[in-house]
Amino acid sequence: MEWRHRHVLDLDSWDRSELQHILEQTRSMDELLDRPIKKVPALRGKLVVNLFFEPSTRTRVSFELAEKFLSADVVNWTASGSSTGKGETLRDTAWTLEAMGADAVVVRHGAVGAADYLARKMRKSVVFNGGDGAHAHPTQALLDLYTAWKRLGDLNGRKLAMIGDVLHSRVARSDIIAFSRMGVKVELSGPPTLMPRAPEAMGAIFRKDPHDAVRDADIIYLLRIQRERQEEGMFPSLDEYHQFFGADSRLMESASPDALVMHPGPINRRVEISSEVADGPQSMILGQVRSGVALRMALLFVCLGGVRQ
Amino acid sequence: MKILLRNAILFDGVSLSGKETDVSIDGSLIEAIGDADLGRDFDVIHDLSGKILCPGFIDLHCHLRDPGQEWREDLSSGSSAGAAGGFTTLVCMPNTDPPLDSPALVSYVLEKSGRSPGSRILPAGCVSRERKGKVLAEMGKMAKAGAVIFTDDGNPVSDTGLLRLALQYSSWLGVRLMEHPEEKSLTKDAQVNEGICSSFSGLKGWPSSAEASDISRGVSLCRDTGVPIHFTHVSAEDSLRVLREAKASKLPVTFDVTPHHLCLSEENVIEGGYDSVFKVNPPLRSRRDRDALWEALAEGTVDAIATDHAPWHIDEKDLPFQEASFGIASLECAVAAVLTEWEERGRPCSMGRLLGLFTSGPASILPGVWGGAGAGRIEVGLTADLTVLDPELEQIVNVEKWKSKARLTPWNGKRLKGWPVMTMVGGRTVHPVEETDRGLS
Repeated sequence: MEWRHRHVLDLDSWDRSELQHILEQTRSMDELLDRPIKKVPALRGKLVVNLFFEPSTRTRVSFELAEKFLSADVVNWTASGSSTGKGETLRDTAWTLEAMGADAVVVRHGAVGAADYLARKMRKSVVFNGGDGAHAHPTQALLDLYTAWKRLGDLNGRKLAMIGDVLHSRVARSDIIAFSRMGVKVELSGPPTLMPRAPEAMGAIFRKDPHDAVRDADIIYLLRIQRERQEEGMFPSLDEYHQFFGADSRLMESASPDALVMHPGPINRRVEISSEVADGPQSMILGQVRSGVALRMALLFVCLGGVRQ
Repeated sequence: MKILLRNAILFDGVSLSGKETDVSIDGSLIEAIGDADLGRDFDVIHDLSGKILCPGFIDLHCHLRDPGQEWREDLSSGSSAGAAGGFTTLVCMPNTDPPLDSPALVSYVLEKSGRSPGSRILPAGCVSRERKGKVLAEMGKMAKAGAVIFTDDGNPVSDTGLLRLALQYSSWLGVRLMEHPEEKSLTKDAQVNEGICSSFSGLKGWPSSAEASDISRGVSLCRDTGVPIHFTHVSAEDSLRVLREAKASKLPVTFDVTPHHLCLSEENVIEGGYDSVFKVNPPLRSRRDRDALWEALAEGTVDAIATDHAPWHIDEKDLPFQEASFGIASLECAVAAVLTEWEERGRPCSMGRLLGLFTSGPASILPGVWGGAGAGRIEVGLTADLTVLDPELEQIVNVEKWKSKARLTPWNGKRLKGWPVMTMVGGRTVHPVEETDRGLS
C-alpha cells in the first residue's frame, strides 16, 4: 500500500487499513525474531538517532534492538531537562541531528507536542514519537494492538477494559484510538479524579465500577499508577487504590477466564496489579515486550525502507 | 492643517449612517460633519467612498512589555502596531518589569508614548504593590498621574479581602478595577481547556469554573460595595451566565472578550498539531463557549472587544506547546479577524453593534479625563481620533511585515476580510505612514 504517514507522531489520522497493514508487517518481523540469525540488511546505511529527554529503558532498548536487527546505524542521544532551561532548544537539537545526517529520530520528551514540534522543524528526517508527555505513545499502542490481534484474530466487536490513571497516560490515549479504530469497544474505569473530562470524545465509555468494565471484556488493560499522583493527592492512598481498582483475583472473578491481561510495564505489584494476575495464565505482559521489538522493526521498515536511498 | 474626509459611511460610535457624509478636521479637532464646502482650502482630501469612518478604536487590554521586556515589544513598536491595526488608543497592562505600580512609571509610559509614532498609549496601574497581591498600590497617585484602569493582569487579585479593599478604596478615583478572572487553585500547571482538548492531548485541563468562580466572587463584591468592576478576556459560557445575571440586576459590571476567543477554539490546538501559537490564558475554549460569546455579543451583553495582544520573542514562543509562553499576538489583525468571523457566522449582530465594541463600548469603561480623545464617538469639537475601515478589503496576514515585534500569530497566512485602512490620532494620520505628509490622495 501507498504509505502516507511520513512521521509517526500519534495515531489520530490513521485509518483501519493502515493499522491492519502495520499488523501484517509486524507479523513478518515477528517471524524473523524466531530465526537463529535475526539481523536483516533492510536499513543498512541509515542513521537512526534515539533522542531521549526522559529516562526510559524499555522503549529505548526496544527501539534500539529493532534498529539493530534491521542493520541501521544507531546513536543514542541522551538529553536532560527541558529545552527552555539550560542547554540548547529542541529546535537547535533538531537541526543539529539533521546536520549529522540522521535519517530518523526517535524522540521521547516530557512535553506534550514535542514530537510534533520536532517534526515541524525537521526538513528531511523522519520522526518517531517515543512518547510525548501525557499525549501519545503510538508505538506502544501499536504493539498492544498487535499483541491482541495475534492472540484473538479480528478485533472488530471485541471489548477492551482499561483501568487506571487514564488522565495522565499517553499509553491510554494512543491505545484508545488504536483499539477503537479497529472496532473495539473501549471502557474505562478508575478513580474519577484520574479520568479525562471527555472520554466519549475520545471514543470510550467511563464505568464507575471496574467490575462492570471488565465484565465481558476480551482484553483487560491495566495502566501504571505513578506514585506522584498519590502524593499530589489525586487519590488517598495506594492501598485504597489497590483495594478498589487493582487487578487481583477478586476483580478477575468478574471477568471472563479467557480475557487477556495487558500492561505497558513496568508494573507496580500490589498497586494496579497483583502478582497472581501479573504472573497468571491470562497475562500477556511479556508477550507485549516481544511484540514491541517486532512492531518497531515493522514501523521503521515501512517508514524508512525504500523511501530514500 | 485642514483635512477633509469625503463620502464616508459614518459610524458615530452608536449607529451606522445610511448615506455618505463628509467630515472635516481642523488641526487636532473634528470641525464639521455634513456635506463639505469644497470651495474651502483643505490641505488634504481623502475620498472614503465605500469605507466606514469610525471613532478611533480603543483596545482596553494589550501587553506592550515596556519597561523591562523590550525584546518582546516596546511602547514605540506597540504604538506603531496599534496604529496599523486601526487602534488610536491602547491601554497597556502593568505586568512589566518592574510592574507598573507607581506614579513615576505611569508618567514614564505617558511621556514615552507621547513621542511614539502611532496609537496613544494609556497605562493601566497595578492594583497591588509589585503586583504581588498583598497590599494596595498607590492607586490615588497613579490615577492622578494618568492611569486609566487598575489591574494585576496576568494574575487575578486572589485575596478576596484585598479585592474588596481595592474596590472600596478606588471608588473615589473614577478609575475602574479590571479583574483577570482566574481561580489559581484550579489552574495549576493547566495548559488547555478542560474538555475535548485536555482529553485528547494529555495536557492539563483548565476548567471553565476557574474563570466563572472568580467572576462570581467579583460580582458578589461588586454587589457588596456598589463599586464598578470590569472582567477581562471572558472566555466561557459559564462565566456569561454569571455576568448576564449580574447585569440583569443592574450591577455596575462590565466585561470584554478577545478576538481569539471569538475566532478560535480548542480544536485549533489539536488540529494545529499542538502549535504553541494557540497557547493562551485563558485557553481557547470549546465551540459551545465560542458560540456563546457570539450570542452574548449579539444580544448586547458584551461591553468591549479587547485584544489581550501578548507579544513574545520567537524564542519564548516557538517551543513545544507545554514549554511555550501563554499569549497570542494580534494587534495588527484583531479587527480583521473579528470582522471575518462575524461575516462567516452570517453577521450575528449589526455592524454598528460590532464596531461599538471597539469604540463607544471600551470608551465607557475608561475615565473621560483626557480631553475627549478616545471618547468613542464622532462629534464636532472632539479630538480627531479616527479609524477608517474598508469592509470589503481582503488581505493575507503576513506577520513578517508587522510593526509589532511578535513574529508568531494564529492568523499568519490567513486571508481576512474587513481591514482598518487609515488611522488618525489627534488629526495626524498615523497609518498608513507614507501618506502622512502627502497632498491630495
